[in-house]
Amino acid sequence: MKTIKQISIFLENQRGKLSDILTALKDQNIEIQAASVADTTEYGILRLITSNQKKAAELLSAKGHLVNLNEVLAIQVEADTASFADAIDALTAGGCSISYLYTFHKDGKLVLIIRPANLEKAEKVATESGLTLIQGWE
Amino acid sequence: MNGKYWNEEIETMPRKQLEKLQVERLKKTVEIAMGSEFYAPKFKELGITPESIKSVEDIKRFPFTTKNDLRATYPFGIKSIPLDKVVRLHSSSGTTGNPTVILHSQKDLDEWADAMARSMYCIGLRNTDIIQNTSGYGMFTGGLGIQYAAERLGALTVPAGAGNSKRHVKFITDFGTTALHCIPSYATRLAAAFEEEGIDPRTTTVHTLIIGAEPHSEAQRKRIEEIWGAKAYNNFGMSEMCGPGVAIECQEQNGMHIWEDNYIVEILDPVTLEPVPEGELGELVLTTLNREAMPLFRYRTRDLTRILPGDCPCGRTHVRLARFQGRSDDMMIVKGVNIYPIQIEKILMQFPELASDYLITIETIGDNDEMTIEAELAQATDDFAMLQNLTKEITRRLKDEILLTPRVKLVGKGVIPQSDGKAKRVNDLRHNH
Repeated sequence: MKTIKQISIFLENQRGKLSDILTALKDQNIEIQAASVADTTEYGILRLITSNQKKAAELLSAKGHLVNLNEVLAIQVEADTASFADAIDALTAGGCSISYLYTFHKDGKLVLIIRPANLEKAEKVATESGLTLIQGWE
Repeated sequence: MNGKYWNEEIETMPRKQLEKLQVERLKKTVEIAMGSEFYAPKFKELGITPESIKSVEDIKRFPFTTKNDLRATYPFGIKSIPLDKVVRLHSSSGTTGNPTVILHSQKDLDEWADAMARSMYCIGLRNTDIIQNTSGYGMFTGGLGIQYAAERLGALTVPAGAGNSKRHVKFITDFGTTALHCIPSYATRLAAAFEEEGIDPRTTTVHTLIIGAEPHSEAQRKRIEEIWGAKAYNNFGMSEMCGPGVAIECQEQNGMHIWEDNYIVEILDPVTLEPVPEGELGELVLTTLNREAMPLFRYRTRDLTRILPGDCPCGRTHVRLARFQGRSDDMMIVKGVNIYPIQIEKILMQFPELASDYLITIETIGDNDEMTIEAELAQATDDFAMLQNLTKEITRRLKDEILLTPRVKLVGKGVIPQSDGKAKRVNDLRHNH
């Protein structure tokens, strides 16, 4: 499947928790390409795409953080709203629902990180719709 | 060392004969306790003499002994023999007043080591085993009590002591340790220390864990057995009775045989102090039958348990105690509801998403008592809705069990405070505490 790896870290609302994670990554020269936080008043999930997912996951895990690695879709589109909308329309038309989404810019393009309800189905729909899927880069 | 029993005659003694032995030993113990400034006047008042004891039923004539009695007579007020015959003392921490002191003669220590060696033999440990002790070697009886017993068994004994998990990992790996003595919460923490070193605890030489000194549920035991790929046996002891070696599960893992040659066992209603109907839950009350420096009569343990009915397939005739259902001391009264921490633990253990640590905090907010339960997540997820649903489901099941709605807070690793002693489960911040 054409997917990429995402790291999710459980964050309790505690002073210094985020700094601790960022410092650890910085010290190992791991670059963050995209980050998203989902939160309540008590805890959150920090989702990251970095320059070396495997290394980042091992590092944070060793530091005592709860870390999860999973597969998500990375769809590359032109860096404009119309292209963003077209991609989402294509997935919706194909019957896919999206659990969460965040974006980042890379090499003048827009990359959509998407966790669909059904990964396999969304990957198929995206491919058939001619969307550009990024695979396995770290 | 191929037999099934450490002491077949005693362990499989027919009940009638066992009771006869108890009566003999009770008489002897009364005789010794006549030398106690604490018991002698009580016995006189109640007309208790060795000759007046005819059956085990006579235990009902005896006065109760409580932890407060031990505190009030601190340090040596209950002793039955002169101090020059006493060779050791153990003491509990005195967080709520004077500590309690328990005195031992050389004979007491020998009997204690023998009883715990019998317990180890009962769960399949032999002189070919290498037993590593993770208890502190100080006033806590889990240190020396296990040490002397394992040596009595003839096993190679590693007195590694409390804390320093890295060192425990190294010793287990280097020495080929086959059995561990630890409190249940440490069993899971030590397993985590192995995982941090990249070693699966199931691949170690450890085949048996003796766990005790901390209330735990059947689910927690199963989890310990799973992560270690080993058998875990519930062991019961208390410093007032000697220490570890009072009762232990046999390999049937269905109730702990309490060594009745050493104790008279009563299960009483904690309020009326009358015996509960057979097999029902009540407070465990124990009388020592094989101790001389400081025998205790009808000691109120505050542990709530029941006697399992029927014979045990292992052939031992000594009664079996069910897993403890908390302590009368641990009971929290929140909004008028009686709650034991073990009830909460039982529910949390039903969720594979959770690790084994938790902390219950009770505080007064406005005019109300509020309960917050922090539960440690076992692993991270990218799925936020899952965490929210998990919180809701834990709350719902807890409410069904304890009849009030706690605030459930998921936390990551290392958030719940740990000490090298017993895990702290309840943090009561109410004004009246």
